[in-house]
Amino acid sequence: MGRRIVVVDDAPIVRLMLKDILQENGYEVVAECSNGNEAVAKFSELKPDLVTMDIIMPEKDGIQSLEEILTIDRSAKVVMVSAVDQRESLMRAIKLGAVDYIVKPFENERVVSAIKNALGE
Amino acid sequence: MSDQSRINNAITLIARLSIDKSSRTLSKFVRAGARIELERAYVVDVSDATKVIAHGESEVVGALVSLTGDAPFKFLFFVGLKDSFLLADLILRRPLGTTTGFDLYASSAVQEIGNVLATSISNVFATDFQIVMKSTPPMVLHDYAETLFEEYILEAAAEKNELFIIETKFFVVEHNINCHMFIVPLHGSEEVLSSIANRM
Repeated sequence: MGRRIVVVDDAPIVRLMLKDILQENGYEVVAECSNGNEAVAKFSELKPDLVTMDIIMPEKDGIQSLEEILTIDRSAKVVMVSAVDQRESLMRAIKLGAVDYIVKPFENERVVSAIKNALGE
Repeated sequence: MSDQSRINNAITLIARLSIDKSSRTLSKFVRAGARIELERAYVVDVSDATKVIAHGESEVVGALVSLTGDAPFKFLFFVGLKDSFLLADLILRRPLGTTTGFDLYASSAVQEIGNVLATSISNVFATDFQIVMKSTPPMVLHDYAETLFEEYILEAAAEKNELFIIETKFFVVEHNINCHMFIVPLHGSEEVLSSIANRM
């Protein structure tokens, strides 16, 4: 069984793209979430090895969700997924404790390399 | 040149700078060449605004995004209903024609393209003019073009009698997909746009 990942993005098409890439590379997507509230709840419930986290989402954005997840588990591995080049938000996420980031639109190779890097593979 | 004309020129400059960035981003996203052209930049009376939409009664899918910050704008990206199916197939690397009806992924393709393009515009403010802008999550609407456009201009029309509209047209090369992007400045953006105009 591959490492367990939760994919968080408000766009179903992006979740599907990430899920396909992750599964093709041997990872198990244990949950998909469309907003930050769901993400925090699923993280608490499933304790995944890694979370991919979109930044701009309704209800609770990716930065707030990252903070809450790190409050639950300081060693949580979260990879941020941002549109184009949201430099300010990404810098904030990295300072808070995100381990890496992916910029949309992304290449498959970049996704895999960020996940491997975050999981220390 | 009047203050309003100078502000309108500043908006046109921002649109031109955004177009290059947006073309590259969209091409990468759909894995096909995308060419974006500035179609028109014009001032229109609010009561006539919906008439400028040539697609009146055709069904479209659009993503509305608010860009908030020192220069608030409203952004709209829309595409014909059937073209949203093609965009979904291109993004998901499926054979064209796989998507045959308006589903979650056709809607989401428009949502995500709107998100990515709106962010390209906020990046122009940040990198070229050091103005930090944030975009809201896109709201996706599937409706007639005229109805969609009415929803789009609602906020701006409540504040002004005339709207300055930037209209761009995209072509996804080889697939004959026509997309449209609009930018309308909202109340509160005048000061920042004026300072940009002064730098021009």
